[in-house]
Amino acid sequence: MTSDTPLLSVRDLEISFRTGGRDIPVVRDLSFDLSAGETLGIVGESGCGKSITALSLIGLVPSPPGRVSKGQILLNGEDIVTAGEDRLTRIRGNEISMVFQEPMTSLNPVYTVGEQIAETARAHFGSSRAEAWDRAIEMLRLVGIPSPEQRAHNYPHQLSGGMRQRVMIAIALVCEPKVLIADEPTTALDVTVQAQIFDLFRELQHKISAAIILITHDIGVVAQMCDRVMVMYAGRKIEEGPVRSFIRDPRHPYTRGLISCIPKLSRDPSDTPEPLFEIPGVVPSPADLAELKGCAFAPRCNRAINECLLHSPALTALGPDRAVACLRQEEIPA
Amino acid sequence: MSEKPALSVSDLKVHFPVGGGKVVHAVDGISFDIPAGIAFGLVGESGSGKTTAAMACARLNDPTDGTIRLGGKDITHLDGDQMRQARRDIQVVFQDPYASLNPRERAGAIVRRPMDLMGIGTPKEREDRVDELFATVGLRAEQKALFPHQFSGGQRQRIGIARALATRPKLIVCDEPVSALDVAIQAQILNLLGRLKAELGLSYLFISHDLGVVQHLCDQIAVMYLGQIVEIGSRSEIFRRPMHPYTMALISAVPTLDAGMDAGMRLKGDPPSPISPPEGCRFAGRCQFAQDRCRQESPVLSGDPDGHKVACFRARDLEVVALREELTRVPA
Repeated sequence: MTSDTPLLSVRDLEISFRTGGRDIPVVRDLSFDLSAGETLGIVGESGCGKSITALSLIGLVPSPPGRVSKGQILLNGEDIVTAGEDRLTRIRGNEISMVFQEPMTSLNPVYTVGEQIAETARAHFGSSRAEAWDRAIEMLRLVGIPSPEQRAHNYPHQLSGGMRQRVMIAIALVCEPKVLIADEPTTALDVTVQAQIFDLFRELQHKISAAIILITHDIGVVAQMCDRVMVMYAGRKIEEGPVRSFIRDPRHPYTRGLISCIPKLSRDPSDTPEPLFEIPGVVPSPADLAELKGCAFAPRCNRAINECLLHSPALTALGPDRAVACLRQEEIPA
Repeated sequence: MSEKPALSVSDLKVHFPVGGGKVVHAVDGISFDIPAGIAFGLVGESGSGKTTAAMACARLNDPTDGTIRLGGKDITHLDGDQMRQARRDIQVVFQDPYASLNPRERAGAIVRRPMDLMGIGTPKEREDRVDELFATVGLRAEQKALFPHQFSGGQRQRIGIARALATRPKLIVCDEPVSALDVAIQAQILNLLGRLKAELGLSYLFISHDLGVVQHLCDQIAVMYLGQIVEIGSRSEIFRRPMHPYTMALISAVPTLDAGMDAGMRLKGDPPSPISPPEGCRFAGRCQFAQDRCRQESPVLSGDPDGHKVACFRARDLEVVALREELTRVPA
């Protein structure tokens, strides 16, 4: 389903935040492409720059103190970084939609959820009020909300967290965006509802060949949903590749750690499980990074050598569609 | 099994009046035993009553009916100082390591507080115990003087665990203790909980919506649906031979690393309202195997007296068994 020209192309992106009188970069040297019909997973711990990257794609980096300080974000060849607010408003919803992490704060408390979905449908399709209302109810049904005719008249506070999240997803999907960015869209939901939501994402993809960026910490979700994966650490891309190689043959020690530290559901569990693999320590803060010369992961890495503390490794291609930023990747056994 | 269970819950009900004569049947008649040294997992969707049940066991909400025995002692109706003393043996680790620590108190004082409240030891002994606890959970002694906001999420959860250990309890209620943490930190905390259980012979009542986490840590598992236990058994029984269609649906919905493992079993809709639970089996409305009998009679939890039990009329019927075999087939 993927075509050769990317729908979205991010080039040398740098996002900085101004604190204490200086610009601290939180995302650096980030480049990636997204084609129509493709699902790209972005994984990494909190504080690695995943969410702020997603916000930059729809021109929502909170400014001040934040700004895109370098690079381009090209949507069908048009640079979002330099686009005006009017143009951005048209792009948001029509071409790119986003599902945010917090369903509690992302809905308008003074409108019913039906009105909020219908409003989006009217703005996009120019439908009549009645048509838009019917469409809103249909969307609520699709995201698995029971008795949608009644629920459409509810205000956000009358719904559970899981239902609010589903309303958010309905708003994002109602105008059939070409690019859907979903930042931990199902983290607050039960697995049974999560499965329904992912079916909807797949439907959208089949129907209009939408591209999806899925930010998640759940490696199982990545395996089921994504074609390609990008791993971020401390504001940089440290590994990228097709989902199969990401899971079967991760090259960066951080990627390996992320995959081995999660308890995986087994059909045949042992009665005495081995302890989980641990990545010691925590993600460094952007301010600490500014002082760091070498690889940002080195202080937590069980394979780090002196060299790693001195030089920051560049992203190196490992083939047509894979890349990794680790000095020792060749020495790490498959 | 001559030793008394660490916790024994029998026909526990927790109902909340919500006005207009309506009652939420949050927990509606559950029974289970947690043997000493065992991690017991309660799983289910949001609204299944798992947290309410666990909080009732620590008497942080009031049971409507039933009995709760802690190490053989009936604590269902204790109050005031008697309950406070009983809490030496049962402590809680909460979900949110940000909201469950007093922001104005230093970490050392937070961990010492349960001993102060229960009058355990001399001040000097308490201080020594705090040092010991900090070392046990992997914090440094000089961090006692810091305030909660100076710690990361994982470290805060370590403080919460140290506080829970302070009175040398036999049972710790863990309410989603890792769901607010990043994956890498989650592994650190799960390993800590596993190590403490082995070293101190602790029992856990462990609440989680993450089946991978529950499978990793828990020896026995009960699956809750709308206030009731629908299946209970050992780790290997629940995951190798799930018998209730709801348990199968839960396991099937977990995304796994092997593409194509998704058996495509989907639950439709949401659980019914706990205000007026339906007649018969509460899962019948969402169950692909439901028959007339399921909508009229309530199935009782039955099976092996000390082992695998299920509340389903159809659990042993051929089509249910066939689906289970498809779901639990271990890939070659």
